[in-house]
Parts: sequence; structure tokens; C-alpha cells
Amino acid sequence: MTLTTSPATTHTAAPVSLDALPPLRLPPGLRLTPEQFELVCAENRDAVLELAADGRVIAITPTGSETSGRNSDLLFQLQTFAKSSGGWKVFESSGGFRLPDGSIVSPDASLVRLERWQALSPEQRRSLGA
Amino acid sequence: MSALRQKMAAYQANGARLGWLLIPHDQAVEVWPASGASQRLEQIDVLKATPEFAGLQLQLAEIWAA
Repeated sequence: MTLTTSPATTHTAAPVSLDALPPLRLPPGLRLTPEQFELVCAENRDAVLELAADGRVIAITPTGSETSGRNSDLLFQLQTFAKSSGGWKVFESSGGFRLPDGSIVSPDASLVRLERWQALSPEQRRSLGA
Repeated sequence: MSALRQKMAAYQANGARLGWLLIPHDQAVEVWPASGASQRLEQIDVLKATPEFAGLQLQLAEIWAA
């Protein structure tokens, strides 16, 4: 399952981060294969990127502190469920999932059945899992 | 929001068993089932998952307050 939190539409006090990355500038016609995308991600560990099904690279805007705080509460609740019921693995937003349509996406939080996670090879787990 | 809904639709089309889109501004949730239309829920404190996720629920009030 996947969870996505919409960012707040208004920020009265936008948090300022001194180490914020400048926005990534991508040529409009750029199209990458999943393999090329993985190489780009490996060279830009701090960038939050997704790959659309048509090969477009989508740079995700970093969330504000408010959204980040809510996400951490959400992850805590999911983790509590996963630990008490067993059979689930929780992923946060820095994990990329390779979807059947060729896109690579990062929901804010995801629950994956343990047996599906375990069915992946160590190599698949290290890279962007299926 | 439309970009987020497109994302939720893509998760659904790619086999996600359940998707939740949390909208803190409205304190609302859109529930995206494995197939079919999404459903918007408002003014609930506890969000329960489908039976496939036995025991899974979210304390929404806690998340909105976080």
C-alpha cells in the first residue's frame, strides 16, 4: 500500500535550510531509461527524484517542516503496526519503487508484504526494488 | 492536488492494494482501493484499512496535530 501526504498549501513561516540544494534544472526533452535514472540517482544521493513512465525525470520539492513532522508520525504508526502484526515491511520516502509501467516512484510511506520483499534478490534490494 | 491524484491513480494501475492520500489542509483522506474510484473521508479520527490489512489503522487526529 502507498501513502502520500499533500503538502500544506500555505506556509506562514517557511523553514529555511542553509544546506538546501538548488533546484535541479532538467532539459525539457530529457528522457531516461530506468537504468540511466539509477545512475543519475547514484551520483546525486541528496536529490529526491522520480522517473515517470515516459522517461521524464521529476524533481520532488523538499517538504516543509510541517509535512515532515506529520510524515514521521505516520511512519511511526505504520512501524508500530508492522512490528506488532508481523509480515510487513515499512519504507519511507527515500526508497524508490520500480513499477510495472517503468516508472520509479517514492511514496511518503509504503507497506510491503514481507514475502514480496524477501523474494527480491540482494541486488534488487540494494537498488530500486520491484 | 491533481498531480498527487495522478500519482495515486498510477499506484493503483500498477497494482497497489490500497492507497491513502492524506490532505492535512482539509483534514481529509482519499482512499484509493485496488481498483475503482477513490472515496473521500472527512471528520474521522481513526482510519481503518481494508480487511486485507487486518489490524491496520491510522490515528488521524495524531497525524493532523503532529
